[in-house]
Amino acid sequence: MLTLLEQLDKGTLWRSPGGIHPPELKSLSNQSTIASLPLQSRFVIPVPLVGQQATLSVKVGDSVLKGQPLTEGAGFIYLPVHAPTSGTVVAIEQHGSNHASSLPVLSCIIEADGLDTWCELTSSKIEQLSKADILAKIKQAGIAGMGGAAFPSHVKLNPASEIDLVIINGVECEPYISADDRLMREFSDEILTGISIIHHLLNPQRIIIAIEDNKPEAARAIESAIRRSSLPNDMIRVTVIPTKYPSGGEKQLIQIITGKEVPSGAIPAQLGIVVHNVGTAYAIQEAVLQGKPLIERVVTLTGESIGKPGNYWLRIGTTVEDALSQVSFQPESSQKVIVGGPMMGFALADLNVPILKGTNCLLTPSQAEIAPDPDEKACIRCGECAVACPALLLPQQLFWHAKAEEYDKAASFNLKDCIECGCCSYVCPSDIPLVEYYRVAKSALKNAAEEKLQAEQAKIRFETRLQRLEDEKNAREEKSKQAAAKRQANMKSGDKDAVAAAMARIAAKKAQAAEGITADPAATTPDTTTTKAAIDATSAKKTAVNAAIERAKAKKAALATQSQKDNQSDVATVTTDMPVDTIDRANDKKAQIAAAIARAKAKKAALASDSSATNDVDGVQTRDTVNEVNPAIEMDTTIAAIPVDDKKARIAAAVAKAKAKKLANSAKQEEL
Amino acid sequence: MISSILIAVAVLSVLALVFGVILGFASKKFKVEGNPIIDQVETLLPQTQCGQCGYPGCRPYAEAIANGDKINKCPPGGTATMEKIAELMGVEPEALGEEAQASVKKVAYIREDECIGCTKCIQACPVDAILGAGKLMHTVIAKDCTGCDLCVEPCPVDCIDMIPVETTIQNWDWKLRAIPVNVINPEQEDKRC
Repeated sequence: MLTLLEQLDKGTLWRSPGGIHPPELKSLSNQSTIASLPLQSRFVIPVPLVGQQATLSVKVGDSVLKGQPLTEGAGFIYLPVHAPTSGTVVAIEQHGSNHASSLPVLSCIIEADGLDTWCELTSSKIEQLSKADILAKIKQAGIAGMGGAAFPSHVKLNPASEIDLVIINGVECEPYISADDRLMREFSDEILTGISIIHHLLNPQRIIIAIEDNKPEAARAIESAIRRSSLPNDMIRVTVIPTKYPSGGEKQLIQIITGKEVPSGAIPAQLGIVVHNVGTAYAIQEAVLQGKPLIERVVTLTGESIGKPGNYWLRIGTTVEDALSQVSFQPESSQKVIVGGPMMGFALADLNVPILKGTNCLLTPSQAEIAPDPDEKACIRCGECAVACPALLLPQQLFWHAKAEEYDKAASFNLKDCIECGCCSYVCPSDIPLVEYYRVAKSALKNAAEEKLQAEQAKIRFETRLQRLEDEKNAREEKSKQAAAKRQANMKSGDKDAVAAAMARIAAKKAQAAEGITADPAATTPDTTTTKAAIDATSAKKTAVNAAIERAKAKKAALATQSQKDNQSDVATVTTDMPVDTIDRANDKKAQIAAAIARAKAKKAALASDSSATNDVDGVQTRDTVNEVNPAIEMDTTIAAIPVDDKKARIAAAVAKAKAKKLANSAKQEEL
Repeated sequence: MISSILIAVAVLSVLALVFGVILGFASKKFKVEGNPIIDQVETLLPQTQCGQCGYPGCRPYAEAIANGDKINKCPPGGTATMEKIAELMGVEPEALGEEAQASVKKVAYIREDECIGCTKCIQACPVDAILGAGKLMHTVIAKDCTGCDLCVEPCPVDCIDMIPVETTIQNWDWKLRAIPVNVINPEQEDKRC
């Protein structure tokens, strides 16, 4: 049993399943050397959307040099795009894309100045560069896989795992296309230099250059280039593989060369294998050694509607229209222009779209070459498609489910492993466009997955919002609860203070009254007051409660009597009282006013009691009224004495005011 | 004779006891929290949280469906969602209402120079997809907008439009626009090669 490496050295080939042998038709374009077209006047460069982390570094009106990067970006798989020639950025706008949908994407439109001046290029020797430098240069040059998928090359050249085998893909199995064929024939040494850079980066045990046996000139050219190159000849070889479509598919090629199957959902790097296109190797060499970014590529312009079919160096961003106009393109009625080959390509709806990094062929077939779509007929269950499928899928089952729009069932038949090679459509005797059904199903599945993701995110956002609202509500409740508690506490302490102060003052007054009992002009009333105060002083609690009750009663009485008087005298009392207030000026205005009102009321009450005393109202009420006078005055002095306790005083005043108001109201009601 | 009957009774009793213990343990150990059908229905619903079903969100509707409510009340989900729910619940599919038929995915857009910054739409948005502050212009975070319509009604100046989601290369659906793949006549082929 030979090891894999020995078998690779021997050139052992394995069979890949399925596949077809369509007419090659490459001789149409591979007879002449790669030609250059005159410089176009207008280029359309789509701004990359990969990762959507790219920002434009030019604006409308800027003049750019050939090779100048147009975007900046940071993401790992970000690739810059470059100006294909020197000129001016005339617009940055939505422009039709080189995509099956032809939908517009943001693009830079560059008007060439005709000078084609390069920006500053830094050429370097590979020995002077570290691996990271080389990778950075490849990234900065914007090199993407040139085989068609346009996957960023620096990602594939920086794998997480050890790479044992590098396969350079020069198979080019699709009919008509001969871009890689011509490139290998004419630039074999440059390709080998590119391969040596890949070798330097990945350090694999073997490098296999795979070429189909319908390109013997290319194989010979590469073989002689290998002999000339500095790479050790025992670890690099050309393996010629039999012509079969789609041998050039990455997974198919790996199977043919190594016999290993890349598992579903895996990438070749997990098997220690990396596949690069020959065109990519050429671009890597240009980028690393000469510092040239990827701004042009070989494109096969072929088909019977083109007068001068062949391979041409086309700048990335050249519009299909411009390119075709240079090669004697004579469109027929309802002329199709296909990007890519006849098997995997797509027809363009609009020719004013740019050539991209992965565009390897423009095919303009005549009606005789590729007939218009025949009508789809019923599937006869012949099973040809299953025989032809290189991915060992069941195209019939996929078709049934895709047609019935049962996409999840199609997915359960591994729809995602379909490489869309078109073999099944090619062999179908009922002319069913199977691949189109799969593409529809695939995009539907992709959109469904996207929607599901969005729904999940919406759900999370909804739940977070509910949670937030709940939290906010709780916080509000908590806050109001705290505020209420604080208010209550304040009120309590305020009351206590007031009561304590009142008690202290009562005691003081009692002493004062005892001293100046004879000095008092109104002899009878103070007397009763003193006795009452004396009785109150015996029980502190009682005093407080009584004081409050009495105050209320006094007020009621006062109001009752007061209401008999007219409003004018009311105003008068207040105004006459005002000067007394001057001491309190320092205090808050509100507190002042409140206190003033309270005092005025007390005074009024006193006046009323005086008048009622003369009017022979009973003695209890008189006593009460006088008692009421004291607390009111006391409160005033409290406010005056503790200006620091401004807020407290204010609150107390406000509370007193509120109480007074309430009492007044109730008194009024009673009266009514 | 009587002893064999007693033995049988005893054995059966012991067996019953043993299985009872096992069942009791299993019911504790493998207890299913909540009603799993609600979660399953909820995953099928589009999570727009639009309330067009008459319930305040997708989960309440999922609960209602699990409790036997009609399955055709979700216009954003459309017929596809209704059919999936019908399959899951084992009920007959029911046609959606007239207005629910045309369900194009939409996204809210605020005409920003008309916005007066009243924050009413922000309060209405069930997924917090509107950004803005009082007396300042608001805008919709398009990628988070579920197209539920709930912000349109509260807007006092009617500056919110529901616009259909634009088709881009990312979400474009392959139409059956086939590239003809045909067997080329062998005679022609020979002539060409």
